[in-house]
Amino acid sequence: MSNDTPKGSGQSSASAELPPSLPPDELLKRRERLEGSLEQSIEWFKQLLLPDTDFVIRHFDIYGRFPAALFYISSMTKQAAIHNDLLKPLMYMPDHLKDAEIRLDGLETFILRKTLYFSDIRTSEEYQTLTESIMRGYALLLVDGLNRGIMINTRDIDKRAVEQPPTEQVIQGPREGFIESMSTNLALMRYRLATPDFRTHIRQLGRLTKTPVAICYIEGVVDMALVDEVKTRLSKIDVDGILDSGFVEQYIEDSHLSPFPQIQNTEKPDKAVAQMLEGRVVIIVEGSPFGLIIPSVFSQFYQTTEDYATRFLQGSFVRIARVVALVFSLIFPSLYVAIISFNPELIPTEFAVAVAGGRAGVPFPSLVEVLIIEISMEVLREATIRLPQQVGGALSIVGVLVVGQAAVSAGFSSPITVVVIALTTIGSFATPAYNAAFALRMLRFPLIIISGMFGLYGLMIGLILIGNHLLSLKSFGVPYLTPAVPLDMQGLKDLLIRGPLWWMRRRPAFLHPRDSTRVARQSAEDMTSPGNDVLENNSPSGQGG
Amino acid sequence: MNRPATVTTLQAAALVAGSIIGVGVLPLPRVATLAADTGGPLVTGVAVLAAWLALWLITKLGTLFPQQSIFQYSEILLGRWLAAIGTLLLICFFAFLASLAAREFGEVVVTAVLRKTPLEMTVLAMLLLAAIAARNDVRTFSYIHMFYLPFILAPGILIIALSLKNAVSLNLLPLWGNDATALSVTHGILTIASLFQVAFVVTIVIPHMKQPQKALKASSWGVVIAGGLYVAIVLATIAVFGSEETRLLIWPTLELAKTTSLPANILERLDAAFLAIWVTAVFTTLLSTYYLTIHAISQLFRLKDHRLLTYFVLPFIFWMAMLPQSVLQLYQIVELVGRIGLCITFGYPIILLLVWLLRRRGVSSS
Repeated sequence: MSNDTPKGSGQSSASAELPPSLPPDELLKRRERLEGSLEQSIEWFKQLLLPDTDFVIRHFDIYGRFPAALFYISSMTKQAAIHNDLLKPLMYMPDHLKDAEIRLDGLETFILRKTLYFSDIRTSEEYQTLTESIMRGYALLLVDGLNRGIMINTRDIDKRAVEQPPTEQVIQGPREGFIESMSTNLALMRYRLATPDFRTHIRQLGRLTKTPVAICYIEGVVDMALVDEVKTRLSKIDVDGILDSGFVEQYIEDSHLSPFPQIQNTEKPDKAVAQMLEGRVVIIVEGSPFGLIIPSVFSQFYQTTEDYATRFLQGSFVRIARVVALVFSLIFPSLYVAIISFNPELIPTEFAVAVAGGRAGVPFPSLVEVLIIEISMEVLREATIRLPQQVGGALSIVGVLVVGQAAVSAGFSSPITVVVIALTTIGSFATPAYNAAFALRMLRFPLIIISGMFGLYGLMIGLILIGNHLLSLKSFGVPYLTPAVPLDMQGLKDLLIRGPLWWMRRRPAFLHPRDSTRVARQSAEDMTSPGNDVLENNSPSGQGG
Repeated sequence: MNRPATVTTLQAAALVAGSIIGVGVLPLPRVATLAADTGGPLVTGVAVLAAWLALWLITKLGTLFPQQSIFQYSEILLGRWLAAIGTLLLICFFAFLASLAAREFGEVVVTAVLRKTPLEMTVLAMLLLAAIAARNDVRTFSYIHMFYLPFILAPGILIIALSLKNAVSLNLLPLWGNDATALSVTHGILTIASLFQVAFVVTIVIPHMKQPQKALKASSWGVVIAGGLYVAIVLATIAVFGSEETRLLIWPTLELAKTTSLPANILERLDAAFLAIWVTAVFTTLLSTYYLTIHAISQLFRLKDHRLLTYFVLPFIFWMAMLPQSVLQLYQIVELVGRIGLCITFGYPIILLLVWLLRRRGVSSS
């Protein structure tokens, strides 16, 4: 890297005109436009950026005649491109243009139109733009005597490969996942959605990070009022940095104090596209592999793309199983506590005797017992995520099996408590959306405590509180429990069961899609008419003729 | 009023039904059999009809002023001060009704499941639940009713269906009852009809309906659902216990739940589970009563926001709930208040309707 850097010149006296204590961002505000000689500009950029060792200033002469300098950050740019595609054609006049007469005032056009074969080239005279483009990995070309800078996209940032998203595994369906690079993510969506209706609005968020944020939607499907509202909410964000889409989510959600997520995130481009097709808006943030889906209702959090990729009986069955797991993960331990401590007469006598036998050696009331096991399960679960992968599997087996068994034989808890908590924990993993499962995971604790105090009566009061909260929640004006409440008959086909695809002829009405037709009427009718039994005839058609 | 109209007809019907079905179901068969022993179902049916008539009148009045609640159009009809007296009466009545409902259910819970828990705790828990929920707007209010209605109807229907195993149809005969006096029958009809008073809440929902002219349909459906359940429960209870036994039980419906059990021995007894799920029904009723009270107060004093009021009213309602000395006294008060309430919730709209008719005649003749 250091061979590129001309370090000869040293600090000259030109820097004296500005106080050196100012941070670069402040310095930038002092000057607006490119002016003066190349030497002055170089001094200026040196002052602005030279403390970074990976900032490179390369002096050279264009075609051996015009003194120029190339500015770039070596760590963000493709070195080979700068050497072969930028410096070489600028220093050596191409053979077929040897005779052309070039003057300084025609130089810019000549370079742009005849010399450089980069597609992404911009020009500007503003320091702000020029500096920003250097920071984004562009190479900046300044020519002595020209008051415009030429910015060439030589950006080259290492990115990981497109992999299967770890949080949203599927058995059937596309396996690609978003990565951190926004351009890749947009490409992953774009190739699935080859229509000019697919719009992306890119804006920058974060005073210092200047993170590009893309608002994606399908024009002609989405309600434009929703897009405007998303833009308005985004424009209210003024922070120093946005490092993940989760930051954006927290700024634009409706109820910040609710345990329930009101914006869904996804790592899957096919899911993002499916949601846009329903009339939702997707936000992609540079540097984050999670896209945000706006708005979101509760039912989305237990649905997966796989439900739609598989046949409808299969999809419906799996979905019902998931809802059961969801409900169980919320109420199972508190139901156990309530019945054991207040209403053991509810359960069959044989079972009640077995439970009492199991609890015989346990000194604590069932509330304390369940809380202890629940908390240790939470600790175990969190520890398993942080453990190095090599020991994680082994240690979790030790933790769950050995400690659980030992706790029972030590008289620390009854075997049934362990069974209840284990089922609850496993059940909570059946919810595809981690953040929604987390809400229920948190709410389990107050429910256990209130059940320990007031039995089934307390459990119901807790559940009604949660229910009322869910009913009052909104995501961008959409009630959270849509389509159950308010009732939407069309939406019911996709709530607990996943109806056959041609049943769901219309896009969800609560999103106010501009065009609500999903399945053409004719196509839906064709699905119900009997098919043509081409192979039923015994004589093959090839010979029958 | 420039609030968005969001309540659908279905939600309004659910709201009426959910408001009516409440803690009154538990003693209902006793009241019905005391009125006309085996004629109980018939008495209940007549009471449902009477309640429907009253509600029809109230709703009709509401559809005449589809943009305003009763507290607003009463001012137009009666003048500000007379209307204020009417509103104040309604506020007192519904506040008292809320406190009685909370107390009644608190008693049931303390007697049936949580024998060691102080009564104050169970009453306060119910009232707090209603107070927190009453902070929502009308839209969420109607969503709450819509959402919980299936959870209210399902256990009721389940208990009725399961009790058919023990039912003896002979217990129901004669259908018109033995030696029922006109006084006791009227008494019973009024008491049962007073269980439907919470449906008055429809008057504050009409201005928020998408189609206020369909309010009549909505409240009729609400009464049909609630009344159907009531009649069925009275039928089932008398069929299982016989009228002589039913009149001796404080909460015959709860006893009905005790006699039934799920097939395959999943749960040996259902009374505690039934009572737990019945919390929902009581909650929706209590919420409606509470909401009506809060709404009336905030419109009487022309407050923009009713949220602060919810907690402010809570101590008063709690205090009133703790006034009755015992369950017996509680039920005496419930019957008394119920009948006085009928004068208010039925009489007041009639007065308003009459004034409206007189005024309209006055306008058309001049």
